[in-house]
Amino acid sequence: MSSKPNGPLEPEIARDATYHRAPPQLRARIEASVAGLARAERGPAMRRGFLMAAAFAAVSVLSWNLAVMHVASSGEEMRQDVLSAHMRSLISPGRIVDVESSDQHTVKPWFAGKIDYAPPVRDLGGDGYPLVGGRLDYVDGRKVAALAYRRNQHRVSLFIWPESGVSDSAPKVSTLKGYSLATWTKGNMRYWAACDAAPSELSRFADLMWTTSG
Amino acid sequence: MGQQANFEKRVMPHLDAAYNLARWITRNDSDAEDVVQESFLRAYRFLGSLKESDARPWILAIVRNTAYTWLRKNRPADVVPIDDAGLLPEDTVTAGHVSPAESNPEVILLQSANRKLVNQALEDLPVGYREVLVMRELEDLSYKEISTVAGIPMGTVMSRLSRGRELLRVALGERMRRAS
Repeated sequence: MSSKPNGPLEPEIARDATYHRAPPQLRARIEASVAGLARAERGPAMRRGFLMAAAFAAVSVLSWNLAVMHVASSGEEMRQDVLSAHMRSLISPGRIVDVESSDQHTVKPWFAGKIDYAPPVRDLGGDGYPLVGGRLDYVDGRKVAALAYRRNQHRVSLFIWPESGVSDSAPKVSTLKGYSLATWTKGNMRYWAACDAAPSELSRFADLMWTTSG
Repeated sequence: MGQQANFEKRVMPHLDAAYNLARWITRNDSDAEDVVQESFLRAYRFLGSLKESDARPWILAIVRNTAYTWLRKNRPADVVPIDDAGLLPEDTVTAGHVSPAESNPEVILLQSANRKLVNQALEDLPVGYREVLVMRELEDLSYKEISTVAGIPMGTVMSRLSRGRELLRVALGERMRRAS
């Protein structure tokens, strides 16, 4: 019987297994990210976007399984993910870069051993987009290489990961919650860039990256 | 404003539960943190789908899905499918298990089963059993709630629980014997 009382041979999970409590820094990080999202959401355009997202999400929890599978790599979800990652880096002190350098020969080797591919790293300081450094980030459920650039007072995040079987495609620029986003593929790598500067600024950055990267 | 306050009030209280589940599924502190952070940002975006009912199963379902997506991408070998067809809810314990006398040295050893051994044995269980045991025993979720979170029928929840307990008992017994 499954209702048999716990005998000596019955491991008592509730008593013996560890209950892992969330570390305090995790709470702080989540609260900061949510505050950032809330700030970004204030504004009429965003409000409409959120209502659409809410309407879409008004499916039951049970169908979440399917929803995640089908939506995870879709454009909208990806855009949200990229923007969240960009904002996380801005919100958490010390999260903009893990390795700080404008030297591509310092930043590129830093990724070796941390991820299983080598992202192309280029300093665009000569064109007004100096490289600030690199970090690991988390986009679409995986660990990815992220590069940080500066455009005047603005921060640019560039996320790069391998995507096999896609042909090169020129940058597409869009906006989300007042931020500019761009994506393109080149040399079996997927690129996503996010920035709070005007779309034209990010578009120029994307074009520069696209034409100079392998 | 309302959205953020709502999130703070309804979802944030379940942070420990979320982390505990993510930690037991990923078996790693920093991976669990990443999964929970990701899940909570998703939860914030999908807050509109949270009804008036308890938020805990809702957030745990998001955490579980995020954790599985993460596992499939980063440690696919961890995601072993479970053949539920061969399991019956009552198909458990019984055969072969005779309760040994209290004086049996093995029993005394087993009684002193320390946390380390239980933790290790639980971590070594296939994730499909581990997660239902954690939700039932550590989170005290009902069968119905576990069924919602894991997206499996109630009967399967029950059969996985009893089979999981049995596997844990066997694994623990082996560890004890090796340790003695």
